[in-house]
Amino acid sequence: MRMLEVRNISKHYGHGRTAVRALDDVSFSLEPGQLLAVLGPSGSGKTTLLSIIAGLLHPTEGEIVLGGRPIHLRSPREAAAFRRRYVGLVFQEHHLLPYLTARENLLLVPHLSGRITGRDRTRAKSLLAEFGLEERAGHRPAMLSGGERQRVAVARALMNEPEIMLVDEPTANLDTQHGNQVLELLRAQIHARAMTCVMVTHDTRMAEQADASLRLIDGRTAPTGA
Amino acid sequence: MLALKELLGSKLKFSLIALIIGLVVSLTMLMSAMSEGLVTGMTGAKGTLAADALVFQGDTQLALERSLLTTADMETIRRTPGVREVYGVGHAMISVEAGGEVFDARVFGLGGRFDQLPIVAGSSGPPGPGEAIVDVTAEAEGLAVGDTVPLTPIDRELKIIAFTEGRRYVMTPAFYVDMVTWADLYVASALRGEVAEDSGGSPATQSASLEGGASIAAVDLTAGTTVDDLAAELEPAFEVTTPAEAAEAGNGMPVMVLAVNAIQVVSLLIGALVIGVFFYIMTLNKTGQIAAVKALGASDGYLYRQLLLQIIVLVSAAAFIGIALALGSGSSMPPTMAFDPQVGRWLISLAAVYLMALVGSLFSLRSILSIDPATALDRAEH
Repeated sequence: MRMLEVRNISKHYGHGRTAVRALDDVSFSLEPGQLLAVLGPSGSGKTTLLSIIAGLLHPTEGEIVLGGRPIHLRSPREAAAFRRRYVGLVFQEHHLLPYLTARENLLLVPHLSGRITGRDRTRAKSLLAEFGLEERAGHRPAMLSGGERQRVAVARALMNEPEIMLVDEPTANLDTQHGNQVLELLRAQIHARAMTCVMVTHDTRMAEQADASLRLIDGRTAPTGA
Repeated sequence: MLALKELLGSKLKFSLIALIIGLVVSLTMLMSAMSEGLVTGMTGAKGTLAADALVFQGDTQLALERSLLTTADMETIRRTPGVREVYGVGHAMISVEAGGEVFDARVFGLGGRFDQLPIVAGSSGPPGPGEAIVDVTAEAEGLAVGDTVPLTPIDRELKIIAFTEGRRYVMTPAFYVDMVTWADLYVASALRGEVAEDSGGSPATQSASLEGGASIAAVDLTAGTTVDDLAAELEPAFEVTTPAEAAEAGNGMPVMVLAVNAIQVVSLLIGALVIGVFFYIMTLNKTGQIAAVKALGASDGYLYRQLLLQIIVLVSAAAFIGIALALGSGSSMPPTMAFDPQVGRWLISLAAVYLMALVGSLFSLRSILSIDPATALDRAEH
């Protein structure tokens, strides 16, 4: 696994007097196995930061470097291939496909990469077991609780053995008990597999469990605790 | 995988969609079959005459009712270069009495070429004097093979020896008789059964004067001769055309054919619009899902292929439902109802449905391309 570096990233929308600076000169670096919590109020640029790291948005300035190689100057096709291979994404809304079972939602990831192998099936089974979802593997999202759905979403993000986990408010729709459960599982996976993880959250208690934190206000890095 | 999984995962939703599209397909098929039925019912007996060309009396605008060719005319046609064989076709209007009711019918005299009639019941031999092969829709009027039916008010009778099919004219059944019987009926119906003092003699005398004549001449041409060649030889004393073109002339047929074609085109357009919009709305409803799958790394091409697969499966199911409904409706219609499903027309309708679904899918593709995968993460926050 490799180090993730975010160097002087800015993202501007519009020009001149109407220009909006969604992100302004944001930098940080993460060692493998580190979890970074990104805090900040709504509109502070947290999601824009995640989208840029995932290759869903191009930065106006700055660069993203993984293991010494820049990863931000990619075409949409290359960025999609990069996400399939190296990125695990967890959305605030779980975005599980409603017509697929929990197991099939996990197998969607290797399916998008080409084909599903026996190894993929074994991995899906083992991840579901690790997340306590073995009994729920054949259930569709509508038949799962909120916590179970979010655990399936995290397990899906781990299917491609990613180097970077990008997690957007993973516990926002969960009660404290289920939220802690999901975060604990996530932390365990990050440390065990030496991934780098950027987690956006509003919840300072969640942020306290991260290895590092970054606060954004109006797109700029603010001192932690501001 | 995704397309079929989604279809199987939402069976009720997609069954209803297939049913609705099936109803639209069925509507276009029914419109097509009924339009064709109308044309066949109006012109079947004329349009199916076995000949390369039909020759009418001049200045009749190809109206069978107004054309009458004398023996000399027939001889002129027979001697025209390029003509291989000629037989006379006679036409007359009659009223038939059956079960106390009177219905209109048309008599067609055929100069010996009865082998062109498909027999669906009764004798396959040619009718003798006073005998007729009748279009099977006359069954609905209560007629049966073996019946001898009175013709009013001309005091004649015809014995039905067989039924044929697809041979109606102006929505009435055709009665095929030999030319002698036709001449007798033609004169009798023209005189309404009365002997006119100034008509030059009795009906028998007048029908005898038609011997060797006919309403029109059906012509087979020698190899290399075209209908235009024959027309160049015979016009303007005669009018020359093909059976298919003759079928679309007279009795207001040009206007009717135009209206029928317009009905078919409009029903196809409406069907196509419904189908196209359906798939477009389906894509719009899945914007969030599509954004998430794109964020996970799915390419636009992959998503479009899934959409196409879904469309092909749904439209195929809808086509099956539509054809079954149209055929079911058709089989429950009375034989006199204008319903004539044409495989070619139905295939065109089906092709149009697939084409329009494809066009609708292109709108969906535009929609897929415009979905930004970043919206899967975005919560209106920058």
